[in-house]
Amino acid sequence: MKRQVNPEFQPVPSSRTKTPSGNMAEESGAYLWKSSIAKTGPKRRDQLAGYLTISPALLLILALTLYPVAYSIWLSLLEKHSFFPQERFVGLENYIYLWKDPEFWTSLWLGIVYSGWTILFQVVLGVAAALILNETFWGRGLARAIVLFPYMIPTIVAVILWKWLLNDTYGIVNYWLMAIGIIMDPFCWLGADHIMLSVILMSIWQFFPFVLLSILARLQTISPELYEAAKVDGASAFSRFIHITLPQIRGILFVVILLRSIWMFTKFDTVWLMGEGAGAGRFIRTLPVYAYMRTLTYYQAGLGAALAVIMFGILVVTTVIYFRLFREEADIG
Amino acid sequence: MNRWRFQRISNRILLYIGAGLFVLQAVFPFFWMVSTSLKPHVEVFAQPPSFIPHQPTLDNFKRLFTATNFLTYFRNSLIVSGLAVLLTMVVSTAGAYSLTRYQYYGREKIAGLILCTYMFAPIMVVIPFFILVKKGGIENTHLALILAFTSFCLPFTLWLMRAFFKTIPVQLEEAAMVDGAGRIRAVIYVVMPLALPGIIATSIFTFILAWNDYIFTRILITSDELKTLPVGVQDLFHSALIDWGLIMSAGMMITIPALLFFVTVQRYLIRGWGAGAVKG
Repeated sequence: MKRQVNPEFQPVPSSRTKTPSGNMAEESGAYLWKSSIAKTGPKRRDQLAGYLTISPALLLILALTLYPVAYSIWLSLLEKHSFFPQERFVGLENYIYLWKDPEFWTSLWLGIVYSGWTILFQVVLGVAAALILNETFWGRGLARAIVLFPYMIPTIVAVILWKWLLNDTYGIVNYWLMAIGIIMDPFCWLGADHIMLSVILMSIWQFFPFVLLSILARLQTISPELYEAAKVDGASAFSRFIHITLPQIRGILFVVILLRSIWMFTKFDTVWLMGEGAGAGRFIRTLPVYAYMRTLTYYQAGLGAALAVIMFGILVVTTVIYFRLFREEADIG
Repeated sequence: MNRWRFQRISNRILLYIGAGLFVLQAVFPFFWMVSTSLKPHVEVFAQPPSFIPHQPTLDNFKRLFTATNFLTYFRNSLIVSGLAVLLTMVVSTAGAYSLTRYQYYGREKIAGLILCTYMFAPIMVVIPFFILVKKGGIENTHLALILAFTSFCLPFTLWLMRAFFKTIPVQLEEAAMVDGAGRIRAVIYVVMPLALPGIIATSIFTFILAWNDYIFTRILITSDELKTLPVGVQDLFHSALIDWGLIMSAGMMITIPALLFFVTVQRYLIRGWGAGAVKG
């Protein structure tokens, strides 16, 4: 193992090397001595230092994330009130209850509908926007920043923005749709029939920049020569996309779809805030919202935890299947 | 040749239209928020709606600061997010240094574990977290909230800092150490100056993540004077008639800090870090 010291590197003045010049021999001697230690010794000091510096982070993750998640498995086997201390072990009763609970199956289905549509459109729009914003044009930097920005705002802001835009009496969207004659009467965006559509629309708006960002970062690493060569060969823009861009972004696309699926399927705040107060919240009661309500509306912490565990289980199983199906992409990514 | 030129120009036009549409859909809701927040009460509900307020007024903001607890929420958000970022950054800078600079058994396993927790969604953690916090007797405190924020920020921050430390050549510290500097001196004088932009950018991303949290605050905090902005603003809805002018002014006041931070770090987003730099 041969390591080279950059000769141009200016060492920071240190108390131990008082003379900046003249003791080169000594220094390189020390270097050789150190590297020979590195070659033979087990570097026990390094190991210890490594464990020492990672341990605060590791302890916090164990205590604040992994322990609660493990505890929720135990909690799902209890009948427990959310606010009072008493608890009773009931085994799998919570799971059996949920199996027979039509509300659970409805929320599972609504969650699949919600995440399916939002993921599809996020990916399509995200890739399209990334391709456009990867081209060179005037104002590109600003355009990128603006298009990314909705992803950075608190969900509550996104929700109040869209509730106001889609307001049935005073909303600007209804005003426009009526002005150009698409609809005659105000469209009840937040009513029972259309609230799913509305929450899907606003979720796409809020989250597709994540896909855009990931794809754009990858596109910038593709060598322009590939495109030049294809252009010389007379390949159309579409075939350049299929034969050059797509194979290059497959790996990151694999990761992005996985992350988006996990986060959309477990998305709580957007769905909950959109449904709250609208009176039609029941029609977008996805699994995370249902878990929240079991815990904090019905005070059944055991059932809430069981729902969280089920969600976790579904995600693990889906992820494993996903990796099996697309193993090739996983290797690239 | 003419045909080729024509196609080139029409491609440019299509490009600008496409980019314009994407910009427009992102900007318009915010424009509408600003416009509504500057309108007097009557004009908010006027039909047809006016794009630019006819009689712009700061009345909504005045009411936001005097008639609601907005400033308390704002202060709480700053304190809790700030402390959570501080704790997260100290711990994860050390952790990321460890993961990139030392060789030890189980290092890659630990890195994999962190990536795994990075994918966890808040809803899976918050229910047991809530019960544990009650058992620990710290419910309805900022301490519980800081710990909760740390729980979802830490894997993210650690992952980002690890990616960042990987870009700093290890040879630089080795050279410094060869020249007689101890490990600690090498870190302070060689690594830190190079890592500082990354540390600042990561802090800001973490801050945005914490600043935006809704679910943990909703569940862990019950007293009004301890609430953070997202929950406080949601509660403005609970009046009989929704005061959209007031709500839009509140929305603007939450968005401005996020915007300022975003402007300072947005170049990091596209240059290199990509997907790792955001979560949600």
